[in-house]
Amino acid sequence: MEFAIFFFFAAVAIIFALVVVLHRNPVVGALSLVASFFALAVMYVLLEAPFLAALQVIVYAGAIMVLFLFVIMLLNLQHMAEPVTRPIQQFLGYTTGAAFGVGLIYYLAKYAVFDKLPEGAFPSDAHSVGVALFQEYVFPFEMVSILLLAAIVGALLLSGRTYAKREAAR
Amino acid sequence: MAFDATDIALSALKIGIVLFMMLNITPIMVWVERRGSALIQDRPGPNRVGPFGLFQSFADALKFILKEDIVPAQAHKWLYTMAPAFGLLPALTTIAVVPWGRAFRLPEKVWFGRHVFENRPIFEPVVVDVSAGILIVFALASLSVYGITIAGWSSNNKYSLFGAIRASAQMISYELSLTLAAVSVLLASGSLRLTDVVWRQTGYFVLFDTLKLPAWNVLSPAMWIAFVIFTVSAFAETNRLPFDFAEAEAELVAGYHTEYSSMKFALFFMAEYMAMGTMSALIVTLFLGGWDIPWWNEPATWQGFLATALFFLLKVTGMLFVFVWVRWTIPRLKYDILMRIGWKVFLPLAIVNIVVVAGFIAARWI
Repeated sequence: MEFAIFFFFAAVAIIFALVVVLHRNPVVGALSLVASFFALAVMYVLLEAPFLAALQVIVYAGAIMVLFLFVIMLLNLQHMAEPVTRPIQQFLGYTTGAAFGVGLIYYLAKYAVFDKLPEGAFPSDAHSVGVALFQEYVFPFEMVSILLLAAIVGALLLSGRTYAKREAAR
Repeated sequence: MAFDATDIALSALKIGIVLFMMLNITPIMVWVERRGSALIQDRPGPNRVGPFGLFQSFADALKFILKEDIVPAQAHKWLYTMAPAFGLLPALTTIAVVPWGRAFRLPEKVWFGRHVFENRPIFEPVVVDVSAGILIVFALASLSVYGITIAGWSSNNKYSLFGAIRASAQMISYELSLTLAAVSVLLASGSLRLTDVVWRQTGYFVLFDTLKLPAWNVLSPAMWIAFVIFTVSAFAETNRLPFDFAEAEAELVAGYHTEYSSMKFALFFMAEYMAMGTMSALIVTLFLGGWDIPWWNEPATWQGFLATALFFLLKVTGMLFVFVWVRWTIPRLKYDILMRIGWKVFLPLAIVNIVVVAGFIAARWI
């Protein structure tokens, strides 16, 4: 039963991930990414981590992808022609992608452990995640917070109307 | 996890009950909405089909089915067809984690010579009681924006697109205050599980050693603000007046579902009312004590379960009526005011409220 569900949703995740890359319409691509994220959330449920599954859906499908879709719709990319690419760009793109893919599979085959999964339910409820974040990983956690703050300030500075700009416009 | 036939049958029964309730919310609420609006505006309202116009909704449903289903020529056909389903799915599934009655031990019975409920399993009246309860609600609720967005975009109509863009901006903004208002409740109950949240509210606040108030979160001095924020944000999340900018008939024809007709339109309609029902159930669960009947110690028998389930239904019905009441009382806001109060009033208030509740907990007052 679990295997059937796993393979079904693994197939869904991979197929929709392929659609993201291959489909020409950016809106369809964004929605396929949402479907792929959702299938990934099912994997977390199968690993008995409903907390992580919920976070996966809230953060990626519910927040980030909505904003992506929002921007795509606002820009109305639907009728935009594909930008012209030079052969060297295409060649470099394919080579980098292929190299990355081969490297990923190589390391996965070499280092991933398939026979040493933790026994029973993995501690992934809100409590243990909170404890891990604020004790063991508190430094990276705070670093990420500062990084996000910098990004917010940067976005505000780039898009916001400052006093000087308003004066210049006048 | 091992399942036996009893578990599966009980789960199917629970799903059936919840689904039945959710599907029947729409026709009943449409009737309440029309008669309620007529009552508020001092006019008769629909009173021709059946007693008090009760069968008006059935006539409407029949009309929806018989109408021609039109797909605009320039629409994105696939997404246009799938959008109503995307809208309906979160509305239907979110209710699964909300408990709707007191758990009780099933009595052992002999039916047709077979022992049923032999080890007397506990009947927990909630479809799935997951540890991440409230987060599942927010996860699914955050997906409900896709139905509106895709509908608006795929119709290839500027009014639809405007409705969709407004709706997504509005829902993203108010989701934050909605979630943060719920966080204060979760802080106080110390659990994400909604059954725990309800159990914590079954006690009493004792005032001056005499007055016993039910320990509902709305009556707690630290959390009534969260209740106000949550309720207002719930109105915005369900796109109800005074926040119905996704439709805004005066400006956008019918907003995101301008191009929809027949049953596809009816599905959006159903999704709206189901989302209202889910939100009402959530408000009741988080702030109004869930299924708790004040000043009565509910017994853990089927009588106790039935009484609590009916009382829960009564509370949800009351909340649903508030939705209708507000719709016909308060006019639509301006869009910039909506955004301003969302980001500059409700969000800071919700954050301050979390700090206040945390302080109360640190001081062991709640």
